[in-house]
Amino acid sequence: MLILLIYALTVIPLTLLLIYKVQGLNQSQSQVNSLKKSLDDMDEQAKLIVRTDMELNKLQEELDKKIVGLYALQRLSRIISMTLEEEQIFKRIQPEYLSDLGFEKAFGFLWDDAKKQFILHFCLGYSDDETKEIQLFINNNKERCLNFITSEKTLSSISESNNLITPQQLSDIFKAHAFIVSPLAPQKDNRGLIFVGTKNVEMLVTEGDEELIKILATQLAQALENARLFEKTWRAQQELEKKVTERTRELTVAMEEVKKISARKTNFVSSVSHELRTPLTSVKGYAAILLTGKLGELPKEVRERLEKINRHSDELVHMVNDLLDISRIESGKVTMKTEICNLQEIASKAEDLLSGQLKERKLSLNIEIPPEANLVMADRTQIERVFINLIGNAMKFTPAEGKITIHARKTEKMAEVNVSDTGCGIPEEAQEAIFEEFYRVDNAINQEVKGTGLGLSLVKYIVEAHGGKIWVKSKVGLGSTFSFALPQTS
Amino acid sequence: MTLDLKALIIQNMQAGVGVSTQQDHLKAVREAVGKARLSLNAGKVDFALLFTTGEFSHPLVLQTIAGIIGPVPLLGASSTTIISSQGPLKHGLVIILFSVTEGVYFNAGLVKDIAAKSTLTAGLELGEKLLYGCKNVRRNLSVIFSNTEAAQSSGLITGLQEKLGKSFPLIGASIPRNVDHQENSLYFNAEILNNASCGILWGGKLNFNLGIEHGWQPLGKPRYVTKATADVVQEIDGQAAVDLYKEYFAKEIPELKRELKRISVFYPLGISISEKKEYLLRSVVAIRNDGSLVFQGEVPQGSAVRLMISSKESCLASARKAAEAAVKNMEGKKIKFALVLDSLSRYTLLGRQATQEIKIVREILGENVPMAGLYTSAEEAPLGFISYSLGKTYFHNNSIAVLTIAN
Repeated sequence: MLILLIYALTVIPLTLLLIYKVQGLNQSQSQVNSLKKSLDDMDEQAKLIVRTDMELNKLQEELDKKIVGLYALQRLSRIISMTLEEEQIFKRIQPEYLSDLGFEKAFGFLWDDAKKQFILHFCLGYSDDETKEIQLFINNNKERCLNFITSEKTLSSISESNNLITPQQLSDIFKAHAFIVSPLAPQKDNRGLIFVGTKNVEMLVTEGDEELIKILATQLAQALENARLFEKTWRAQQELEKKVTERTRELTVAMEEVKKISARKTNFVSSVSHELRTPLTSVKGYAAILLTGKLGELPKEVRERLEKINRHSDELVHMVNDLLDISRIESGKVTMKTEICNLQEIASKAEDLLSGQLKERKLSLNIEIPPEANLVMADRTQIERVFINLIGNAMKFTPAEGKITIHARKTEKMAEVNVSDTGCGIPEEAQEAIFEEFYRVDNAINQEVKGTGLGLSLVKYIVEAHGGKIWVKSKVGLGSTFSFALPQTS
Repeated sequence: MTLDLKALIIQNMQAGVGVSTQQDHLKAVREAVGKARLSLNAGKVDFALLFTTGEFSHPLVLQTIAGIIGPVPLLGASSTTIISSQGPLKHGLVIILFSVTEGVYFNAGLVKDIAAKSTLTAGLELGEKLLYGCKNVRRNLSVIFSNTEAAQSSGLITGLQEKLGKSFPLIGASIPRNVDHQENSLYFNAEILNNASCGILWGGKLNFNLGIEHGWQPLGKPRYVTKATADVVQEIDGQAAVDLYKEYFAKEIPELKRELKRISVFYPLGISISEKKEYLLRSVVAIRNDGSLVFQGEVPQGSAVRLMISSKESCLASARKAAEAAVKNMEGKKIKFALVLDSLSRYTLLGRQATQEIKIVREILGENVPMAGLYTSAEEAPLGFISYSLGKTYFHNNSIAVLTIAN
């Protein structure tokens, strides 16, 4: 019984302990299972993360490659467009740009239509022997290359083989694992091809790469086109400059000749005028003596003839004097003795001189010279002649009861004098010519009134000799305004 | 007082860096060496480090340098991209000229034809050569460059550590292959070498510091390498090693092979280091048809491994941490030179922001600190901060190592 009791007291607690332990183990196992499950879940999440990360990395790589490539292309495009020399364009393709595009080998050929062969313009990443082999290959396959250029399609290491050239063939010859060949300006004169390649076995050409190289080829073609156009324009400009130089030289010679002739003419006019003046003075002197009647009373008819001789002699003397003055000014023999002159005084003096004729012809003369335009630097005597000539001219063409106005105004550093009349006016086509020597407007008044055609010409010479200018504004039937400008005192 | 200061300046170690990106190789060499000599500010050149891009790997380049600086030891390597203060250079060269004080010792060594011997033998041979003449001086640091796949084996490091000491700070770079999968060159004096390893050992009064970081984070549950031989992992958790990647990427072997470059760069395997809260990265370099994976470096059988993931931000942050570690405890000491060994995988991952990474390092080091380096396929360095007691060297992938040298 005791044994049974002892047994029961031993077994029951042990059983209870065992049950407790088993329960604990079960709980631990459950926790382990739970942890294992969490770990597995975490691992599954890790797998998702890794897969997503890989996809993102691929996209990032492609994006990085494109950005680097585009950046390199942009820099390359900029530097090749900065030169207009054909050889410089190719020289600017440097290894660092190629490297950024993912390549280390490159060459470019242009077709020479005269030589009927491809000419190598640049080659990077190849030895001299390799370069010679490439040149030989391209020119041995010129027809295929020309057809390739005409096809306008790029060829790369990922292209499918066509009848022209197989990618594998090019890969072997050009010693590149990955490559792109692009035609250059297939429609233009400077057609050719460019090649870029790499030995990098990990490089895989993408469509994006082909697109970039195609853009590069277009940029190169554009730069070449620009260079050729520039060359053409430059040559044309050189030709033009040559012609201009030639013409300038001819004109200079002609001008010299004209100057010589003009000088000769001036000398001739001067000599003739001098020679004419002496006999004219005698003629006029004798006529005057005869008219006094000291040598005997003259019959009426003779007196009339002598008076005509005297009058015509005066006109002739006047003309000869004008001619002499013109030739002197023209030849530079006359220097303007400039001083400060008062225009109001000069105009008034001219008015006094001509007052008789003005009254006789019933013409009014109004002078308006404001103080700010009054003082000029001029040769007083010569400017008096200008006023007398211009007023005299106005009087000649203004009918009775007409008005002549002298008005002056200040312009920048100059005094502008306008002599206006209410005369018959000058036709537009004659306005430039009236300042030429011996030119007379073809009108009724000129047919009646005598004149030498030298007055306005002399005026022009005088004004220009002062560093001034003269011009006319006129309308037929409404009158004329002769204007001249003279430098003012500082 | 002035005299003392002058004496101090003369005794300081000097480093001058010159860079050139000229197309003409010889003009570039003359320009870079000229700049380096100018910034060296010292009459004599004791040794030189040279990093170039592949195009400069030509005997004439080395001859021209020797013609200018004289017959001094020269070490270096070419890479697809090199590092200068200006940022990554895909074409150019950078040369660093050193002028050391009387209290500083150095010795350069080379081991050739590594493939023909065991990597351990090669490591022992290089260690022996580096120690030559430096056995009785305080040894500080060794920098190693290798361009052999055998360098991925622990044998080379083990051999070097046998000779130099297990905790001796050893910093190294494995040079990546170039674009057409040819080896980049190693430079040793006038020689251009393949399948070789060369290094320099510094001793005496020299201060240096190192920061090394990768910026990758573990993802998913831990797995165990159940079968592996050196850099080939046959099984993970009792299944074909490739199943791990098949599972994570939901792709079959042919697809994985096509995506191998991306997987190798972005998703390496992380080996958990039990005593540190760190992971050593191993990039997959090949997938075999039997389902085994070949890694860039050894993966010990029994290792706990996890798939690793990173981002541009994380990479840039790790570069900052590495640079900060390299300047830590350097207060009051003028940094004379900084060597940057940066994984080519990081360059690929960062893409257009690769320049930003170098800029960050430069900002932390200081604008005036001469800086140079190259992009690597793997890096050898102690984990984290170096000290003489803890400085066991490991083989790293996808890391940036910044070594600063001061007086």
